[in-house]
Amino acid sequence: MPKRLVLIPAALAALALLVMPAGALAAPFSPEEGHSPNADDSIAAYWVMFLIGGVAIVAINAALIAAVVRFRARRGREPARTRAVRRIQPRVGIALGLVAAAVFVIGVVSTTRVRDVEPSGPDGLSAASTRTAQLGLTAPTGGEKPLEVLVSGQQWVWRYEYPDGTFSYYEMVVPVDTTVMVTLDSTDVVHRWSVPALGGRFDAVPGRDNHTWFKADEEGTYEGQASTFSGPGYATMRARVRVVSVAEYEAWLEQQADDIDEAQSAVQERVDELAGAGAAQAVDEAEVTEP
Amino acid sequence: MSTIPSPTVAPSRPEVVTDGIPEASPRWFARAASGDHKVVGQLYVGAALSFLVFAITELVLMRVQLIVPESTIISPEIFDQLLSTFGPTAVLLFGIPLALGLISYVVPLQIGARGTALPHLGALGFWLYLLGGVTLYASFLYEPSAAGANPLPPLSDVVFSPTNGVDAWVMGVGMVALGFTLFAINMLATLHTLRAPGMAWRRLPLFSWSAAVSSWVLLILGPVMLAACAMLFIDRNFSGVFFDPGEGGSPILWQHLSSVFFTGAYTVLLLFAFGTISEILPTFSGKPSFSHRAIAGSMIAVGVLGPLAWMQNMYSAPLPIGWAIFAMAAAVALLIPVGLLMFNWLATLWGGALRLRAPLLFALGSISTVGFGLAGELGYSVIPVGWLLDNTTAAQADTYYVIVGAGIFGGFAALYYWFPKLTGRRMSEGLASTSFWALLVGVHLMAIPMALAGLDGQPIDIYKYYDTGSLDTYNLIASIGGFVLAIGVLTTLVNAARSVRHGVEAGADPWGGSTLEWFALSPPPPHNFDLVPDVRGAEPLRDIRDSVRSR
Repeated sequence: MPKRLVLIPAALAALALLVMPAGALAAPFSPEEGHSPNADDSIAAYWVMFLIGGVAIVAINAALIAAVVRFRARRGREPARTRAVRRIQPRVGIALGLVAAAVFVIGVVSTTRVRDVEPSGPDGLSAASTRTAQLGLTAPTGGEKPLEVLVSGQQWVWRYEYPDGTFSYYEMVVPVDTTVMVTLDSTDVVHRWSVPALGGRFDAVPGRDNHTWFKADEEGTYEGQASTFSGPGYATMRARVRVVSVAEYEAWLEQQADDIDEAQSAVQERVDELAGAGAAQAVDEAEVTEP
Repeated sequence: MSTIPSPTVAPSRPEVVTDGIPEASPRWFARAASGDHKVVGQLYVGAALSFLVFAITELVLMRVQLIVPESTIISPEIFDQLLSTFGPTAVLLFGIPLALGLISYVVPLQIGARGTALPHLGALGFWLYLLGGVTLYASFLYEPSAAGANPLPPLSDVVFSPTNGVDAWVMGVGMVALGFTLFAINMLATLHTLRAPGMAWRRLPLFSWSAAVSSWVLLILGPVMLAACAMLFIDRNFSGVFFDPGEGGSPILWQHLSSVFFTGAYTVLLLFAFGTISEILPTFSGKPSFSHRAIAGSMIAVGVLGPLAWMQNMYSAPLPIGWAIFAMAAAVALLIPVGLLMFNWLATLWGGALRLRAPLLFALGSISTVGFGLAGELGYSVIPVGWLLDNTTAAQADTYYVIVGAGIFGGFAALYYWFPKLTGRRMSEGLASTSFWALLVGVHLMAIPMALAGLDGQPIDIYKYYDTGSLDTYNLIASIGGFVLAIGVLTTLVNAARSVRHGVEAGADPWGGSTLEWFALSPPPPHNFDLVPDVRGAEPLRDIRDSVRSR
């Protein structure tokens, strides 16, 4: 045991030192690539903290290994009965305080950046919304009004409602380069909205609106998955955002509205039919039961 | 004068006869009804280690389910039940009670007391905890809660969880929280009133100091969880609307209350490990603590700042941003006391003569593993990083690092260290090193792939995942890591079970400790000490040894 105790961590540390310069060690620790300014800012903050945390971890473990290697009890070694010299603790404390202050400042700055809603770009949708923004986030001034989508969680599917009242389930379709203001709510239990490429995770809580935003920089589909436990179907509660060109978005919206109308009138017809049949049957029954 | 018998003549029979008097009640009843802190401490340790077996079994079953994508080995319902039971078992039925058991046993000895101030309140604390645990597990006889590790309303309300499982969860956890509160009252009364002559607060051994800080945390936060559980119980059974959004209640309120308590529980677990490490390092390096005062002060700071950071895991909730920034400030400020602790521990090791026995090995493992966990926590404290990764397996990997580092490495370090005091026997060093390496390999093999999977978007608590990217590889490795971890845990449990009867006899002071628990016999008699020494420094037993040597 004694030799192993020294050799294994030493070998691991040496290996880590060899691999680290290549940056290969950090590559798997990369979060999903961002496709929205707020996601990019969050990922930047992640890398800063990854570096700080990584340095702390390496420092602690290297110091532990060094202490064990250098100061193992052997014949003739007398432990030094040293105690802290005066003022060393305040000095270490101040150094740590400076790091903590730096992390706090990084935190506040990156939070502000992530919450700073950018206006839609030139390829984006113009005059998307006629509703006034009533959001915790400040809507961008100048440029075009953002597209507002109401995302509501329900066991176990996401429903999206667009400004004109059109809605869809599971897949949200939005135009590229357009600021999308997301309002989150829930019709039953607490859910958590998350499409990593388009920014952070936010709770959909019944009775209290939550807000986030994104501006997709590229057409494509972005996958996500609810991430607060919400009952037996939770693992299957996935989400998808399909980002398309403005023209495609408008065509899709029209088609979706037509489909909904069609489906609703079909349902209405069927209801009427059943109601008619029911009425007829009621009449029949009435005739039968009448003496 | 002449009537006094000569002292050399023994009396024909002893004055007091204890031998042969039939005991008033059977032994098991005497133990159950005892308020002796040592008996209560042993009961806590035994119960906590038993619940550890449950926790590890649940973890292994959940890891089995996640070996392959879209697995159907375990049904979603059963997976959710395991998940909902594993959370409270790991922290509230194993981690904290192991800490409380060792605190209960060791602290009165360390401060030179003959018992605790409110012995039967202390015993009641234990029985409430055990009853809470039994209530939680009794729900497996009908249908346990499947409302998640933290049953958030409205999911845990009667509309979405109509069976009585959640009631059992709420009653169980409520009783455990009440038990913790009673424990804290007894321990604080003991620490404030029963310290030996000369045992000033500044000389209090660091483990007892950490026990004082964590008792304050439990005293303040235990009732919060009790209140939350009572409110949810009223909502479910008596048409209450505390958490009902439709009737003016707020689901966020439960998140605040439970978060305060669980963050406090996390802090208590850490403080227990910190106290244990601060006790073991000086003993096994042959040096005094680098700075008793700095370590004691840092522990207070951890006890205050830790619970204040409760909203650190509520960044995603619909709250004003200022609240999140407050939580971030408290969480980031923890860097200072935790950093000072790490610095002082390393300075205590530096220049010593390290005896690498089992307690030191596990204490070093605890520092390293907790270091991984808290470095990660610092990252998630930054709000956008929390938004990016909270509730992914990446954040969960971090929680596992802290719980394994503090609860298992720290708890086992304390167990190996004080086992000779509890039983009079040592645990095997060979099994200890097997267990140590299995735990060290297991925790990294489990947590690192979990972190990688989380970065690829895998959320927590799912009973199945879809085969995208490298998730299958990550989960396979994490499952293997979980099994290795379980082997490490079981090795130490087997070691403890065997050593109770078959361990090497240890004697009163097997490690050369410098605090008063090693002055008592192993195991100590019911009154702890025949003679309570005057305390003249922070290392009373060392003072006694020195004065004996210079005689």
